[in-house]
Amino acid sequence: MSGTALSLDSVRRIYGAGRPDEVRALDGVSLEVPAGEFVSVEGPSGCGKTTLLNLVGLLDVPTSGAVRWGATDVGAWSEGQRTRGRLAGVGFIFQRFYLLPTLTALENVGLPLKARRVPGPARRTRAQELLEEVGLGARASAFPHELSGGEEQRVAIARALANEPPVLLADEPTGELDSASTDRILQLLEEVHERHGSTVLLVTHNPRVAARARRHLVLRDGKVISDRTDP
Amino acid sequence: MLTLLTIAGLGAAVALPVVLLSVGGGVYDHERAALTSAGYQIAVSSGGTHGIDGAHSFSADIDALPGVAAASPVLSVALEAFLPNSTVPVLTEGVLPAAFLATQEPEEADLFPHPLPLGDPTDSAHWDNGTYAGPSAGRVLLSTPFASAERIGLGATLRLGSGTDRNDSTPFEVTGLFGVVGPSIGPTAVFGAILPLSDLQVLSGLARTASGVELDAADSVEVSLQPADQSPTDLDRVAGEIAHLAPFYTVSVLDSEAGQLAQAEGILDGFYVGLSAVGLVIGLAFLALVLLREVESERRSIGIRRAIGVPSYQVAIGLLGRGAALAAAGAVVGILGGVAIVGALADRAGGEVGAVAALAVFDPATLLLLALSVVGLSLVAGSLAVRAALRRALPESLR
Repeated sequence: MSGTALSLDSVRRIYGAGRPDEVRALDGVSLEVPAGEFVSVEGPSGCGKTTLLNLVGLLDVPTSGAVRWGATDVGAWSEGQRTRGRLAGVGFIFQRFYLLPTLTALENVGLPLKARRVPGPARRTRAQELLEEVGLGARASAFPHELSGGEEQRVAIARALANEPPVLLADEPTGELDSASTDRILQLLEEVHERHGSTVLLVTHNPRVAARARRHLVLRDGKVISDRTDP
Repeated sequence: MLTLLTIAGLGAAVALPVVLLSVGGGVYDHERAALTSAGYQIAVSSGGTHGIDGAHSFSADIDALPGVAAASPVLSVALEAFLPNSTVPVLTEGVLPAAFLATQEPEEADLFPHPLPLGDPTDSAHWDNGTYAGPSAGRVLLSTPFASAERIGLGATLRLGSGTDRNDSTPFEVTGLFGVVGPSIGPTAVFGAILPLSDLQVLSGLARTASGVELDAADSVEVSLQPADQSPTDLDRVAGEIAHLAPFYTVSVLDSEAGQLAQAEGILDGFYVGLSAVGLVIGLAFLALVLLREVESERRSIGIRRAIGVPSYQVAIGLLGRGAALAAAGAVVGILGGVAIVGALADRAGGEVGAVAALAVFDPATLLLLALSVVGLSLVAGSLAVRAALRRALPESLR
């Protein structure tokens, strides 16, 4: 794995621009993330961590500046391109899991495959494999409300891996978990990172969680104030 | 609960056109059938009552036209029947007895004796070339309700006159009875009598004017064609020849009356559809509100799907499908409800409402079209929901 997976060049994201209550969520952020790197994004609440993740994950568009996947400026993509990009290019892991409550674990994991029109049998086989990979092979038919928080997040990780995206974006993935589940999830993320060679951006304000990453970005007031790589 | 309410609301909106169109269509079909089953196909009339003069010779001229089976003048006059202790109004019809079939509808075939026992089949003996000097057969036929109510039997003598003076009345022998189509005739009209045309003309003063000029009046001349000559082309040809004989009379062809009836039906259908559209618009506005509410309550689920890359069209199909399913359910409920309402009216309403409801016709093609229209229009409501779902910023949806 080599080259730059992601880069931001003087990216600004301003909400309510020009209004008295405008918010500069990101203010001139520039950074590069090489492919296969495990990066933590740290900082206090409201510092712009989630906005950074949203921009990189094509959930949002920058007010100015360039967001690139490799050499491609994805900030200028149309809505359709961004949708296709999210489907194939990134896997999201959210703090609140965001599983669809009316679908089973297997169906939740199969959702990105269904969006890519993978036929039913192949979809179910792949989803089952992913659930086995996160240790939930026996819980495939369980609905989210029948799962513990840790199990829900593991299903979410399996879903994020469904289309084998090169980039995983995790937004406070252990924020709602107890310490035992947190350790399990972080260990799983590390395993996924090593096994799949994915680039991982892990947003957290928990130093213990951030310690799992090799590179540490710290944001404050929409700016990168520290960019440190462990030896 | 909201889903059930939505289906019920749409069902009510669909039931209205089901009732209106089925009952309206049924009444139209009934009238159309009555028209096409009439014994005559052409009617000649004038602008006023008793407005046809020279009825005997005019009918003979029409009868001589190729393709004509029979032509009979018809004169309807209310006379007084002088009974031993009372006087009763009786609606009397004058016809040419042998040509009576030309005036008779198939459904009346069993009601009248055939041939009519009036004693002067062609009405030529008494008519006597316009002199009215020939001997009258002096016979009359009475409706069975009249004969029964007044206890008049066959062979009895009944005095008829146009005034209230019994001394000016004329005796007729009752030589036959005829039935009536009960439900469609009021209680007065069932007291009826049939006479040869010339006898009724003399009794009613419509044979001649006060100055003695021959009138030979009738209300209309009804014409039936030979079975082999009843195509629209034949009808138009014979009607044209009759009009040529008497350009100042109105010649009505039942086909054109049926056409006018169809046109009226079309206008009424348009009115029904317009009225129903109001209900449907309200129903679909309700559906749109329900779908918009679902978009709001499903905001995060929709956001999750979009965030993981589910294409917009798949999200849209989901919402449109939901709207279409609700609309289809509403259409089914509405159609079944409409059928049930009409059935209940036909069975239990009684009177004219029940009679009209009993005529309802449920055309599967119309009902299918109605259901498809509702489902199609639901896509408009659904598209509003889709727009709302896809316009929301993703970070906001996931919040």
